[in-house]
Amino acid sequence: MKKLLLVLAMGGAVGATGYLGVAHFSGGAFPTFGLPLGGDLGWLRRTSLDFWEDIQFKDFARAATYHAADRQDDVDIAYLIERLFGVKPEMLDIMSYEIVLAEVDSTGLRARVKTRLKVKLLIKEIIKEREVMLFFHRETVDSPWYMELETSLRALESDPDKKH
Amino acid sequence: MTNTLAPRAQARVLSARYWACTLGDWRTVLLLLAQAPFIGWLCTVVWGSVETDTPSLYFVLCLSAVWFGCVNACREVVKERAVLERERFFGLSLGAYVLSKVQVLAVIGLAQVLLLQVAVEWQLALRGHFLLQTLALWGASLGGTGLGLLVSAIAKTQERAVGAIPLLMLPQILFSEFAIPKEQFGTAVEWAERFMPVRWAYQVFTELAATETGWLDVGLAFVVLGVYAAVLGALVVAALIPRRET
Repeated sequence: MKKLLLVLAMGGAVGATGYLGVAHFSGGAFPTFGLPLGGDLGWLRRTSLDFWEDIQFKDFARAATYHAADRQDDVDIAYLIERLFGVKPEMLDIMSYEIVLAEVDSTGLRARVKTRLKVKLLIKEIIKEREVMLFFHRETVDSPWYMELETSLRALESDPDKKH
Repeated sequence: MTNTLAPRAQARVLSARYWACTLGDWRTVLLLLAQAPFIGWLCTVVWGSVETDTPSLYFVLCLSAVWFGCVNACREVVKERAVLERERFFGLSLGAYVLSKVQVLAVIGLAQVLLLQVAVEWQLALRGHFLLQTLALWGASLGGTGLGLLVSAIAKTQERAVGAIPLLMLPQILFSEFAIPKEQFGTAVEWAERFMPVRWAYQVFTELAATETGWLDVGLAFVVLGVYAAVLGALVVAALIPRRET
């Protein structure tokens, strides 16, 4: 009996270590159960999920904190969300969200995280799915990442100085 | 008179022996396992360019699972037919024999579908619940294992068994909505499609990916995959009943 328990414990330990290794080296592509695994990609995935959780609970002040300190007051997340989904945030129920992919560019200073949202438009009672790309940047490879939500959601405005 | 073990005890002994033989040839096991992440990686190369999952990706994953099962199993009876026929003189239970094969091949199949899924999810998150998708792929793999064992039980040589694999795989593609749109299916095609394990595993994927999942359809697909594997197991036993000179 002791031997069986020992084998089971060792098997469990090897399995758990293997799983966490996969979770880490995949950049947090698999659930890490709150452990800070996956390096930069893992951090970006976790932050993106935290961001959508804040939006889900309409905590726009906290959602703004993922942006650079000097821009946090200017970011009007409620407005950007309204423009993205075409309804006011209080008429929007974010039912679920997940990460599709995350990648950092060759310089290590820019990153993008593709997220997939399932939302319900409460007035029309329609369930929709949307993919939203979140962009991040940092000054140096040792600096913290900041989100650029406006870049992600902003409607394009034409440059008056250029020909189209 | 020969003392024979009960079928359950026979299955245990045969399973242990088959495990020992399988692990003894660890290079082949490694090759079988390695093909799964390789196919997964190929999928990420193709679908990475559109950065999202599509129904065709689900179909390829389900087809791969059936393929794994078929390839794993297609030589496993025919290669030891002489041993099987000899042991039948000493009271070998065919049910126990087939069960021992299925037990080992099911574990290898599970490892393969997990490796396939991990390789894909590493780059690209699929819509739907991971473990339910694993179960669907495993069901497809068990269906493929059943088909492979059936071919192996009927074939006279290993070469013929391997040569029959395309005949098992092509209908999975032909009788699917990827050959012609589902609305244009004739009655015969519609019926033939229902006998394809890929179709049911694919149904699980598409339902799980839908905005509103049809859980009844998911449940039905799992039941069909289970019944399919069980019926194929029974057919393999039936195919082994006629004694064969080797």
